[in-house]
Amino acid sequence: MINLSTGAFYERTTRQIGSLRARAESLQQQIGTGERLERSSDDPVAAARLRMLGRTERLADVDSRNSQLAEADLSLTDKTLGSVADVIVRVRQLAVQAASSTLSDEQRSAIGVEVASLRENLVVLANSRNIAGHALFGGQTAGAAYVDNGTTVQFVGTGNATPLEIGEGQSVEPSLTGPEVFEFGTASGPSDLFAVLGDLASALAAGGQGAIDASSAALADLDAGLEKVTTAQTVVGSRLNWIDLMSERRENNAERIADERSDVGGADIAVTMTRLQETLTVLEASQASFVRLANLSLFSMLR
Amino acid sequence: MASDLLSIAVSGARAARGALDVTAQNIANASSEGYVRRSLRIEEVSASGGAGRIGDISLSGSRIAEIRRNADPFLQGEVRRTSGDLERANVELKGLRNMESALEQSGVFTSIVEFEAALQQLAGDPVDPSRRAAVIGEATTLANKFNITASSFDAVGDGLRFEADAQVSEANIIGGELARVNLRLTRAGSGSSDRAALLDQRDQLLERLAGFTSVTTSFESDGTVAVSLGTNPPRSFVQGGTSGALTSAVAADGTLSFAVDGQAVSPGSGSLAGASLALTELASARTRLDTIAAGLADAVNNAQAAGVALDGSPGQPIFSGTTAGTLQVVMTDGEGLATAPAGAGAGSRDDANLSALRQSLASLDPAQQLSGLLFDVSSKVAGRNVTQSALETIASSARVSLEQQSGVDLDAEAANLIRFQQAFQASGRAMQVASDIFDTLLGIGR
Repeated sequence: MINLSTGAFYERTTRQIGSLRARAESLQQQIGTGERLERSSDDPVAAARLRMLGRTERLADVDSRNSQLAEADLSLTDKTLGSVADVIVRVRQLAVQAASSTLSDEQRSAIGVEVASLRENLVVLANSRNIAGHALFGGQTAGAAYVDNGTTVQFVGTGNATPLEIGEGQSVEPSLTGPEVFEFGTASGPSDLFAVLGDLASALAAGGQGAIDASSAALADLDAGLEKVTTAQTVVGSRLNWIDLMSERRENNAERIADERSDVGGADIAVTMTRLQETLTVLEASQASFVRLANLSLFSMLR
Repeated sequence: MASDLLSIAVSGARAARGALDVTAQNIANASSEGYVRRSLRIEEVSASGGAGRIGDISLSGSRIAEIRRNADPFLQGEVRRTSGDLERANVELKGLRNMESALEQSGVFTSIVEFEAALQQLAGDPVDPSRRAAVIGEATTLANKFNITASSFDAVGDGLRFEADAQVSEANIIGGELARVNLRLTRAGSGSSDRAALLDQRDQLLERLAGFTSVTTSFESDGTVAVSLGTNPPRSFVQGGTSGALTSAVAADGTLSFAVDGQAVSPGSGSLAGASLALTELASARTRLDTIAAGLADAVNNAQAAGVALDGSPGQPIFSGTTAGTLQVVMTDGEGLATAPAGAGAGSRDDANLSALRQSLASLDPAQQLSGLLFDVSSKVAGRNVTQSALETIASSARVSLEQQSGVDLDAEAANLIRFQQAFQASGRAMQVASDIFDTLLGIGR
């Protein structure tokens, strides 16, 4: 005879109903949080993947901030280069005027004054600061990029700018150094814009045939300088394009990461809801049948 | 004539009363822990007639021969074995789960990533004081998170050792109890209800003991038990009326070892085995965490030493301490971060040394190492989870089959109640008949 122990019946039922309740609660939690994993041990592989995705996301966040910084610096460089080009164009106009023999020495010296002040403007532009307050064309130096000692303007920055990481191992130099913008080669050897403008201004102030000759000679140098500046603008433009491209890649990556994150660790609401409903149905049925079975005692028949 | 109707009926009524008592006892103890269903064996009392008197009726009714305890030693052994295995798995799983929580909830992984991110952010502008301060801030958080994880690990180990300690002393108390039960069993009459109660007690004590370590039992015919604990080899613990002493010792790395009467023993199963396994896991995880903390501190400090701070002075260490518990940030000011290479001037924006620092961190990859540690612990938890639920099913089915066999079925008891009540009434009726017969005899000749 099989002895149906009352104690075993209650123990079994408690266990079954308890495990059903636990399952329902875990499903409910998945729906509430939208996460499939409550702790790493729920799915160690997925949890490790999620950790690494989170790390990539966090570092990409810094990348995008750094690339915004580089973009801002490069736009500033671009604008400054535009102003430099304007100055060169203006000086060139003045040099063409001054080269004309119809002008008097007074008129030339007036032009010379304007060229001298344009040279000062140029020095100010060369010492522009980036958005962090550092010298835009100074490379890695802590102070100013150029020092004007009255007659000559000296570059005191360092040879290269610090490249900025913009993600996926790529980096970009967020600015140009002074020599890359202001120095160029002329027929008489290397020179820079400050020297050209300074020489022109002093020749115009001196007057006479020397002023006319200097003005026409300066034209070729100014053309070379302008070319150098426009080349620099092209470089800056291509760097900005590169940053744009990388930003786009980063956005795509972020999207992919978000997708993978929800694939790996997200709870599928439809499936989870269905499972919860199924579990609840079974739970209700177990509870109802437990009550009926528990009432089925022979003692209740003994009256 | 050797039979007596009245005394036969009285013996029947007495046996039925005894059976009713046993039934009531069963009902009363339907949910008592460790109670094994009793049943009554009633046997006939009769004597064969003497020589030449074969035809005589010589009946003396019935008597209670034995109060039987419906326990199956095999099933009880199975329950002991499986519950010991389950306890081991439970305690080991609990320890591992706590380790997992300590690693995961302290957020040490996140803080490593944040430290990396702060360094990467500093690369955007190596002389920016707020970015430098952010690096120091994240380094401090990182050190704190390592400290928190280490102290959580300590707490997990302390908890396991405390519980194991309590269980060792409880096992010793149970050993003493078993020895006392053994003594009383030798004095209890066989088949008595007293003996049945003692056997219940014995089996319950054995089951509790099996929850702590694996037990090897050998039963004598009088019900006394000899118990050996553990495996490799089992050590004798209870022998007749004497019991030994189980002791535990803590090694330097926090792991436990056990001995019975000074002889080393491994618990085999039960919660002590689980605690021992969990502590071994904890010690190895602790070593790995310390290695990660020390490696991180070394990489950062070495890179610092190779560069110069913002004021152009040689870089000083950021971290002190060589374990997760002692890791600390000793640099207070962000200006001390050596982002520029040796020889660079004060305020240099050159980030060569910062790149070197980030590179050496990237090749050490403490985040990946920590994630690996967390992965190992959590996959162990996941694996043990599966083992534990399998063992739980096995243990619960062993217990259910024991309960089926030895537990009280209230329906059967209800039926017995009616049955023995009727038997009692019938014996009463027999007494009535005896009385009537006597009256008839007395009435003869009136």
